[in-house]
Amino acid sequence: MADPVLDLRMALVPGAPLTARTPWPELAALSSGHGGVSVKARDGLGLATVIVRRGQLAALTERVRDRFGIVLPQGAYRSEAAGVAFAGTGPEVWLASRETGNGFAGFLANEIGAAAAVSDQSDGYAVLRLTGPRVRGTLAKILPVDLHARAFKVGDVASTVAAHMGATLWRLEDAADGAAVFDIAVFRSFAGDFWHALSESAAEFGLVVTAPDA
Amino acid sequence: MSKNNPAAPYRLPTGGLVDRSQVLSFLFDGRRYTGFGGDTLASALLGAGVKLVGRSFKYHRRRGVLTAGSEEPNALVELRSGARREANTRATVAELYEGLEACSQNRWPSLAFDVAAINSLLSPIFVAGFYYKTFMWPAALWEKLYEPVIRRAAGLGRASQQADPDTYEKAHAFCDVLVIGAGPAGLAAALAAGRSGARVVLCDEDFLLGGRLNADRHEIDGSSGGDWARQIEAELRSLPEVRILLRTTVFGAYDDGPGARTFGALERVSDHLAVPPAHQPRQRLWKLIATRTVLAAGAIERPIVFGGNDRPGVMMASAVRTYVNRFGVVPGRRVAVFSASDDGWKTAFDLIDAGVAVEAIVDPRAVIAPVLLDQAKRVQARVYSGAQVVDARGGRGLERIVVRQPDGRVTKLSVDALAVSGGWNPSVALTTHVGGRARWSDDACAFVPGELPRGMSVAGAAGGSFGLASALREGAAAGAAAAAATGFTGAAPPVWRADDEALGVTPLWYVAESTAKAFVDFQHDVTREDVALAAREGYRSVELLKRYTTLGMATDQGKTSNLNGHAIMAALTERAIPDVGTTTSRPPYTPVAIGAFAGSHRGKHFKPTRFTSGHVFAQERGATFVEAGQWLRAQWFAAPGETHWRETVTREVKAVRSSVGVCDVSSLGKIDIQGLDAGEFLNRVYINLFSTLPISKVRYGLMLREDGLVMDDGTTARLGTHHYLMSTTTANAAKVMQHLEHARQVLWPELDVQMVSVTEHWAQYAIAGPNSRRLLERLLGDALEVSNDAFPYLACAEFGWRGVTARLFRISFSGEMAYELAVPARFGDAVIRAIMTAGEEFGVVPYGTEALGVMRIEKGHIAGNELSGTTTAEDLGLGRMMSKRKDFIGRVLSARPGLTDANRPVLVGVKAVDKAAQLYAGAHFLALNAAATLENDEGYITSVAFSPMLGHWIGLGLLQRGPQRMGERIRAHSPLRGGDTEVEVVSPLFFDSEGTRLHG
Repeated sequence: MADPVLDLRMALVPGAPLTARTPWPELAALSSGHGGVSVKARDGLGLATVIVRRGQLAALTERVRDRFGIVLPQGAYRSEAAGVAFAGTGPEVWLASRETGNGFAGFLANEIGAAAAVSDQSDGYAVLRLTGPRVRGTLAKILPVDLHARAFKVGDVASTVAAHMGATLWRLEDAADGAAVFDIAVFRSFAGDFWHALSESAAEFGLVVTAPDA
Repeated sequence: MSKNNPAAPYRLPTGGLVDRSQVLSFLFDGRRYTGFGGDTLASALLGAGVKLVGRSFKYHRRRGVLTAGSEEPNALVELRSGARREANTRATVAELYEGLEACSQNRWPSLAFDVAAINSLLSPIFVAGFYYKTFMWPAALWEKLYEPVIRRAAGLGRASQQADPDTYEKAHAFCDVLVIGAGPAGLAAALAAGRSGARVVLCDEDFLLGGRLNADRHEIDGSSGGDWARQIEAELRSLPEVRILLRTTVFGAYDDGPGARTFGALERVSDHLAVPPAHQPRQRLWKLIATRTVLAAGAIERPIVFGGNDRPGVMMASAVRTYVNRFGVVPGRRVAVFSASDDGWKTAFDLIDAGVAVEAIVDPRAVIAPVLLDQAKRVQARVYSGAQVVDARGGRGLERIVVRQPDGRVTKLSVDALAVSGGWNPSVALTTHVGGRARWSDDACAFVPGELPRGMSVAGAAGGSFGLASALREGAAAGAAAAAATGFTGAAPPVWRADDEALGVTPLWYVAESTAKAFVDFQHDVTREDVALAAREGYRSVELLKRYTTLGMATDQGKTSNLNGHAIMAALTERAIPDVGTTTSRPPYTPVAIGAFAGSHRGKHFKPTRFTSGHVFAQERGATFVEAGQWLRAQWFAAPGETHWRETVTREVKAVRSSVGVCDVSSLGKIDIQGLDAGEFLNRVYINLFSTLPISKVRYGLMLREDGLVMDDGTTARLGTHHYLMSTTTANAAKVMQHLEHARQVLWPELDVQMVSVTEHWAQYAIAGPNSRRLLERLLGDALEVSNDAFPYLACAEFGWRGVTARLFRISFSGEMAYELAVPARFGDAVIRAIMTAGEEFGVVPYGTEALGVMRIEKGHIAGNELSGTTTAEDLGLGRMMSKRKDFIGRVLSARPGLTDANRPVLVGVKAVDKAAQLYAGAHFLALNAAATLENDEGYITSVAFSPMLGHWIGLGLLQRGPQRMGERIRAHSPLRGGDTEVEVVSPLFFDSEGTRLHG
């Protein structure tokens, strides 16, 4: 790069961090008041697929317990400790998440070592958090999953289909008002159509958009 | 009788479950009438004295309301107007609302005078099998002549021809116990199950719970049946785990899964309103998943087949009671009852109590229960026992009936309504949807459920138990047992005190002495004589009878007609009914609008659309998009002043080939493959070797299906010792993933391989053209050295850049020096803008899939058109890639004789001899003088493009022995689009055949 013109041009290209764009532009306008369903974007979540290496389940389980204080769930369940969670999404496959997403996949790969393959999915999924008194009635129109409190307990996970789109869903601790809380993840490219399906389904109950967690 | 109410002359002054404070005005055939809240269109019309509501399907005979339920075969109307017009709506289930508009159908020019009624006079030629016999020859006329004529003559109402302005939605509900039907048995079952704490869904097609309790005069524990139903409803509504779905028809039973069965149900959310409220659909399609089901769907009263039994004014006896007791409407002023059951006598008594003159009770049974005779005597009703109604006559409506007594005496009675009861048929449909067969019961004199679907029990009339006390008892027991089976063992089933009258029926299927036309199937105009004809002509099986006469094939599925038809066939062929059997009904139980099945997935939402993170940018730049599977990709970016897409594409190609362009390739599949055996795994799925690929290098790979044909192609990069990244075509991404998962999980579970799709995590842009490197240097700065030495063709790297982890691959589809830059998808929008800024000086252009396609054709690269599932590696000129040093999927079968035939068409390039001529994909190759026949076919053109670089059309194609025929002239024959074009066979590498541009 001896060309002085090139050097000059390079200086013109800013090296500042790139600006992220949300998969949920429709959630930019927050609403006030109460609705049957409230929703917020979970853009900052760090996500990674964790697939156990052959014959390494015991090693992985031990690693996860040591490093994160989490009993690696067997089956479609989710365990969480100190902001990190592992959700079972398939046989010996987990979707790991951390509330502060930046660099999560790399960090996780380091912590887990050779016991599992880790693949960054932080941008692969678009995630929403849903709660409210009518959240189940809304999701019943989208998901073929029994979300009754007796059937889908806190910590349960479902890898399923939502309005013809693949989706992963997990139930969190109930909100302070007693309403059930769900996170739902769809592939990022589906976010627009998923939002369409969700907002149409929730319309009769009233849909409130709340600010994402800082 | 309300002589003081001229608007509703047949409405009783008091009584019924209608809300008389709510007067609703409606239009029928343009005339204004009024009814009350709680009316159906049928009850309101009858109350207003409108007896003639439609014309029959084939003979255009005048028809009135026959029933008071969803089984109605006659009273089909067009409901609503404009875009909301719905044909074939049953007036008996259409709830009245203010401003309702309905029109009779199947008549021209008017209901009272219908020109096509002449069909009735021609009826000897319109007999069963008429269509088959008359329109058999010449068969070619079917589509053009016969069918349209028949359709016009036999119209079933008109579609609106406009887009439906309303919405539909689908929903799922899961329950421990599904109760179908909310009559006494269903309410008892729901309460018994609900009290145990089980999750219960109770569905009823009516808008009022209670079933016959709302229509008959019963007492349960001292309350009227209706009041009891309201009490039970109140308790059910207080139970948090009970969901009541009114206006909801469970229309089908489907497969069962682990411990639960799926049912389809249609909830008519807004059908009872003029316009659905905001955010409410018109209808909601429920998928109900139930661990246990109690079928309490009740029974349907059976008509009797006698002459003129379709005259307006002839009505089912139970329907008459419904209109009198529930709606406060009487069917006529002088009514007769023709009943083969004790149950029908109730109609006479209810009518008398309502102040209506009952002219006669005609009962074909010789011996009548004394209690009925006593009661008849008390109310001074004339009884004809052992007698039959042989004919019902009248012009626009019923005027008189002809009664034949056992001694042969014939009496004519002047009546304006006739209530008919032939007994009851249990609603067994849902027990047969998954393969069960109904069973004949001598006790019920009807078919009752046979073997039940797993998890289902039956209670009340649906099972042939017609008494009220039996229904309550069976319902409560079934509800409690169903709940217990799902783990909710609560209190003992509730007990109620009620009467338990037997049905007391001796079936009379048809009146043999009738000479006038006697209808079996009202909706399809199938007469007794049609059944007899079928018997004479040998169509004696019920399945053949059905198809020959169309008995039971109308939208009512023969709810009122099937058994009568089958019984007549039994009598004519001197067999017992169980030996004749009955047909099996299939879902849906009642018609369901296609819109309800589609739900919200209509228009563009028929399937989901996937957007890349560069979509907004492409939109801003005026891109035209094309669907690639579910993805929407930019096809081209028209600049101001460009008038034809080819002009745009030519500009984009020239810009790339002369300087630099950028294309969003995010939709290509990306599969992250890790594990100690990842390299071995790739060796086995690709035809070429991958374990030798150095780290930080990319290799092109081709994979075959097990059958030896090409499946997909793409590049795979080695990111680390045990870490690869595979790319697939957009179209095959999911299929390849499935294929690899099958290989990993089923074929070689012993390999240590982990894989996951990371397609969505990365936004990826191809930056191509002689200035691509200079653009990248500006864009990436110090983040990565991209000089030819540091980053040669087929290099790859992962690096930190402006706060993100980015990846760069030096690969090319266009044949230019090119790179693909990948960043986490949330930065995809920022990066395409940064690329455009960095390339501004070079005049960088965004280009779409069309320019990409043109450039790949210029370079002879294969794509979807060539990866058609019919081509081998050899066919595509890639046979040499097949490694002989290893095994791989498809290797064995790729060597089978058919696939190694030297005559197989192989990839070549073609160009028109006349440079100005256009080429067409799909054109077939023929020798110059060969006739255009299949025998002379030598292959076909797979892809064509106008090459901006060469200035003429070029094509890729598959030609027999193609590589040996370079320079030969043949024809590309496309009778469909372009006639015959003489072409020259050339190398598929049209442009930069040495590849110097690639290596830069």
